[in-house]
Amino acid sequence: MAEPMKIRALLKGDVADIRVLVAHPMETGQRRDAAGALVPMHFIQSMTVTHNGNTVYEGQWSQAVSRNPVFAVRVKGAKVGDKIVVNWTDTKNDKRTDEATVTAG
Amino acid sequence: MIYAKSLLLLSATVAVVAGCATFPDAESTAQRAEQMVTEAHTLGAPALLRRTTQDESQRACSSPGGAKLTQEHSATIVKTARDSIKYPASGKLTGDWKTGAQLVADGRGQRIINGQVEKLSANGALCINCHLMDAKEVNAGNVGPALTGYGTQHGDSEAVARYTYERIYNAWAFMPCSNMPRLGASGFLTPEQIAHIVAYLIDPQSPVNK
Amino acid sequence: MNARCRIAAAAMVFAATVYPVSAQNKAADGFKAYDGLAVGRQMLAEDNPGDLWVERGQRLFNDKRGPKNTSLERCDLGQGPGVVKGVFATLPRYFADTNKVQDLESRLLTCMVELQGFKREDIVRDRFGTLDKDSELEALVSYVGAASNGLRMNVRLNHAQEREMYKAGEYAFYRRSGPLDFACVTCHGESGKRIRLQELPNMTKPEEMREVIATGWPAYRGTHSTVRTMQHRLYDCFWQMRLADLGFASDLSVAITTYLNYSANGGEIKLPGVRR
Repeated sequence: MAEPMKIRALLKGDVADIRVLVAHPMETGQRRDAAGALVPMHFIQSMTVTHNGNTVYEGQWSQAVSRNPVFAVRVKGAKVGDKIVVNWTDTKNDKRTDEATVTAG
Repeated sequence: MIYAKSLLLLSATVAVVAGCATFPDAESTAQRAEQMVTEAHTLGAPALLRRTTQDESQRACSSPGGAKLTQEHSATIVKTARDSIKYPASGKLTGDWKTGAQLVADGRGQRIINGQVEKLSANGALCINCHLMDAKEVNAGNVGPALTGYGTQHGDSEAVARYTYERIYNAWAFMPCSNMPRLGASGFLTPEQIAHIVAYLIDPQSPVNK
Repeated sequence: MNARCRIAAAAMVFAATVYPVSAQNKAADGFKAYDGLAVGRQMLAEDNPGDLWVERGQRLFNDKRGPKNTSLERCDLGQGPGVVKGVFATLPRYFADTNKVQDLESRLLTCMVELQGFKREDIVRDRFGTLDKDSELEALVSYVGAASNGLRMNVRLNHAQEREMYKAGEYAFYRRSGPLDFACVTCHGESGKRIRLQELPNMTKPEEMREVIATGWPAYRGTHSTVRTMQHRLYDCFWQMRLADLGFASDLSVAITTYLNYSANGGEIKLPGVRR
C-alpha cells in the first residue's frame, strides 16, 4: 500500500512553488536483497500535477529517480486557495493521489 | 566538572535542602559502568565480546575529562609499548610504496555485524581516515597531523625508516595515550604491512613526497 | 505539458538528491569540501524525506495494532499517557514502572511490548530499517521527536538512577578499548575535526552538542534512504570502533545518551534532522 505524499504549495508572486515528498522504493531492478536475489524493478512510471483541474505537469519517470524522491515544479498564474493534485502510478500499477491548497509563501 | 559544581552547591545549601542531589562517586560509577559495558555486548564469539576488556595501558588512558597521567604511569605505558614492537622476519623495514598506497586508503578490517567479523584477506591500514598524506587526496581526515612531504622533510635513511616503523607499530611508545591506535601491537596490521606504509611515507617516488 | 517544464522538474529531483561535492574541493583547502557537504545537507533539509517518517510514525502511534489491537494512546513517554509533545526534550529519564532510565527508543519498545503485545525480539530484530523492510521504530521515533520541535532540550537529573546513568555515560565516553584503542572522545574531543570528509562534533563542548543533539537524531540519512535514530548512531560508532554489536536499548547505550543529551540542554529541537 502506498504511503501518502507530502505536498507543499507556496505562492511567491504569482508563481506557486510546489514541492512534493514521495515515499517510494524506486527499485531499479539492479539491487540485490539480503539473500542475494535481484529485487524486481518497481518505480514510479507516470507522474502528473494538476492546477485547478488543468494538467501542468505530466512526466514519465524511470529508475534514475532516487528512492523517496523530492519533486518540485513551479506553476505560473496561481492564487492562494488554488487546488493542486498530484498523482502517480508505478510499474506495479499502484497509484496514489494527494492534494494540497496553495498558501501564501 | 558538573560533579564538582554540584558538590559546591551542596555544601553551600546543605542546611536548607536536606538530601540535595549528588552524583555517585568515581568508584561506584566505574563499577556500574563496567557492568554496563559487559552487558552491552551479547552477540558473537567470546573473543569478540572480550574486545571491550581493557588492557593496563588502555585503562590508564581512560579517565573522565581526559587521562591525567603520573610520570610512573607514562613510563609504564611507554615501556609496555616499546616491548611490544616486533619487526618483519625479513628485517626489511621499508616495503613497497605502491602496496602502501592501497593500504593507507583502505578503511576496512575487523568490524563486527551481527556477531560476525567482516571477511577480508587483510585489514586496511585506515591512515587517511585521520591523516592527509597525498596532497592530491580530497577524502582525507584531520584528526591526526598532515603527513604530506614526510619523506622530503625527514629523508629516507635507515634511522627514519626505523622510527617511522616503530611509531606506526605502537604510537604509545612515543606518546602515551596518543589518539593513534597501536596498530602493530594489537595485531591489526602485520609487520610487513607496516613496512609498506613506511615506504609510502618516505620513498621519494611516493605521492606523499611529490 | 511541454518538454522544458519536464526537464526543469527532473533537474529539481536531482538537485535535491545529489550531493554537491564539486570540483572546487581541492585537498589544499579540504575544509571547502566540508562546506560543500553542508550545503547539500541544507538543501535536503528544506525538503526532508524524514517528514514522511513523521507522518507514518503518527499513523503507527494512533492506529490499533499488535496482538492486543491497541494504539499507543496509553503509552507514557514521560509527559503522561499518549502525550508526545515535549517528550524528546526530557529524555532519557527514569520511569517508575520499569524502574529504569530509558531513552526514546527503549521506552517505545516497552510500550509496544507491554501495551500492544508485540514480541520484544521482533521489534529488536526490525529496529533498523533496510531497503527491503522499513522499521516501525524509526518512524515512531521520528514522530515523537518532531512533536518537540521548537522546544529546548531540558534533561533533568532529578532521580538517583538518572545521575548514575549520567556518570556512567561520561565514564564510557572516555573509556578506551578494542583493537583500535578508541573511546568516544578519541574522535569527539576536539572541534573542527573530520574522519575523511565526515565532520565530527566536539562532544565535550555544550554549544556544539546543543546543535547536534537537538537537530538529529532521529535524522534522515541520505546514504541509508531511511531515518536513523540515536541508538543506530551509537551502534554505528561501536561498529567503527571494532567492538561487538552494541545491544539495542542496553543500559550502556542509554547511559551514553543521557550524558550527551544532558550536555545539549538549551538546544532548540528541530527534528528529524538530515545527515549524510
